[in-house]
Amino acid sequence: MSDAVVSAEPMLEVSGLTVDFLTDDGLLHAVDHVTFGIARGETVGIVGESGSGKSVMSMAIMGLLPKSARVTGSVKFRGQELLGASERDLQRIRGSEIAMVFQDALASLNPVHTVGAQVAEAVAIHQELKGSELRNAAIALLDVVGIANPSARFEQYPHEFSGGMRQRAMIAMAIANDPAVLIADEPTTALDVTIQAQVLEVLERIQQRTSTSIMLITHDLGVVAGVADSVMVMYAGSQVERGSVEEIFYESRHPYTKGLLASLPRMDRRVDKSDRLHQIEGQPPSLVFLPTGCAFHPRCPFAETPGACDGEVPALQVVGDGHYSACHFPDRIGSDEGMKS
Amino acid sequence: MSGETPDHRSLVDSPPGSAGPSGLIGSELVPSASHAFDTAAHASPVARSQWALFRRRFLRHKMALVSLGVLAFLFIVCFGANLVAPYSNTEQDLLLGPVGPRMSHWFGTDELGRDQLSRLLYAGRISLKIGIAVALISTVFGTAIGAIAAYFGKATDQTLMRLTDLFLVVPAIAILAIALERFGSGDTTIILVLAGLFWMYVARIVRGEVLGIKEKEFIEAARASGASSTRVIVRHIVPNIFGPIMVNATLGVALAIVAESTLSYLGFGVEPPQTSWGNMLSQASGYVGTDRAYLIYAPGFAILITVLAVNFLGDGLRDAFDPHTDRHQ
Repeated sequence: MSDAVVSAEPMLEVSGLTVDFLTDDGLLHAVDHVTFGIARGETVGIVGESGSGKSVMSMAIMGLLPKSARVTGSVKFRGQELLGASERDLQRIRGSEIAMVFQDALASLNPVHTVGAQVAEAVAIHQELKGSELRNAAIALLDVVGIANPSARFEQYPHEFSGGMRQRAMIAMAIANDPAVLIADEPTTALDVTIQAQVLEVLERIQQRTSTSIMLITHDLGVVAGVADSVMVMYAGSQVERGSVEEIFYESRHPYTKGLLASLPRMDRRVDKSDRLHQIEGQPPSLVFLPTGCAFHPRCPFAETPGACDGEVPALQVVGDGHYSACHFPDRIGSDEGMKS
Repeated sequence: MSGETPDHRSLVDSPPGSAGPSGLIGSELVPSASHAFDTAAHASPVARSQWALFRRRFLRHKMALVSLGVLAFLFIVCFGANLVAPYSNTEQDLLLGPVGPRMSHWFGTDELGRDQLSRLLYAGRISLKIGIAVALISTVFGTAIGAIAAYFGKATDQTLMRLTDLFLVVPAIAILAIALERFGSGDTTIILVLAGLFWMYVARIVRGEVLGIKEKEFIEAARASGASSTRVIVRHIVPNIFGPIMVNATLGVALAIVAESTLSYLGFGVEPPQTSWGNMLSQASGYVGTDRAYLIYAPGFAILITVLAVNFLGDGLRDAFDPHTDRHQ
């Protein structure tokens, strides 16, 4: 969505956000000192494999984590601190200023209410609309997200909608109050590719209309490449690299990002001689027992062990204009056999 | 989904919502481009309000309809007893004494020569009132306690559920005796005391159900859209556990009517000359196996029919509230 108006005004500023859960095995670091910002009209892609803390981070921003979670750091929306804000304030912000689109639209819609009633409710929570006014507002929203024959659709239940339509309905609910920030947590994962494209198009159109900032959580690099302005890559709860979409895709300075990109199937290149896709060796670490030093070092082909990699947690360092990498040796990971070809 | 569609063309055209060949791909997704959806628009189902859907699903439930009729009939004849009843409920005919069913006394008379049918109708006022009121109060209260306990968890849960346990273990009869002694055995006292003894079962069932529902994603989604806890509980959780609540409420009606009979039997129920079905039943209980057993049948069947009707009605309501039943037509 790089053609959207991106201004420098920061909508959401996250700094040092850390989320710990106390488990029987010890402290689980779900999110570890994550820092980033989203400008007005910007789309930030948050990429990482399952369990890398993407969703927990979004729930922490919304203040929706259970009380057993220990959240520290700072989340500022338009300069207002959200961590530790009263539930009352948070309720006012949720849905009206920061809204969320969930991955599984069927599970996220209440099965006993019609879709229309739920979209109308999303409006009614934050706006004083009643009766036919409210109904018309909800129908207009269904129309905006491209649901055909919205007034008939209004009366139907979620189970009568197809997957793509449900996700559109979820988006309609999320944009009901023209939120400044839209957190989309894997909005297209459960959909097939054509529907994915349509849903992303809907998001893009909404962004162009209202300059909404979008935080797009996904593990689909293709989606990110298509719509994001900047990208943040997460691994084991920490951010490992952050930068513009071009920098991340063509000049990545982190071995994990490199590995992810190399594992993508590509139309324009034959897979190597063994006819297998590239894979990152090993498995993601347990969040309770993180490896010493860099969490990625046991799987990293560039790691120097013993040495800095297993000795010290790498700090996020500047490797380019607005490009950060949490690697001890970002210069070794050049743009050579990367993704350009 | 297309089971909803009255228009058969939908099977040929793109079914609504499938986002199939209705021109979405590649076409501009702006609302003004509605011509792109024309095909889908024609095939879409007719708009129906939520209430209309509810009514249709309820009307499909034949036994519930019959039960609604039976209950309506019972209410009309009982609460209109002064108009319908052939005799007064207290009028005695000592010379006639106890006689079996006959044309002048359809259900016979008791030992004081009182017309059983008339007494049954007047008694129905009390029994129906107690049954419905107790079920209603205990269901609403129990649901509130159970839902709040489960939703907020932690200390709230502990406090409320231990309170529930406390109510479960206190000896019901003793409480009843004390309460009725202190406040008199008026209808209101009986209703409140019985409701006070019934709500715990509802609370426990509701708590269990809510514990399951509150982990669902749509609850998280509702919270993410800024809904308050009250709204989440009332709008999103309770409607989803309407089935079990409804079943319990109908059982509550039956239990309350029967419990009132027990009270009457123990001498704590409504006081003569007021009667309830339970009261009549307990008075007649000594005649089991004698030639006056007909005195048992009238109140016995009245209770049975009411309880059955309420149960079927509850069944129908539960199905009508569940949108998924539409799929099984």
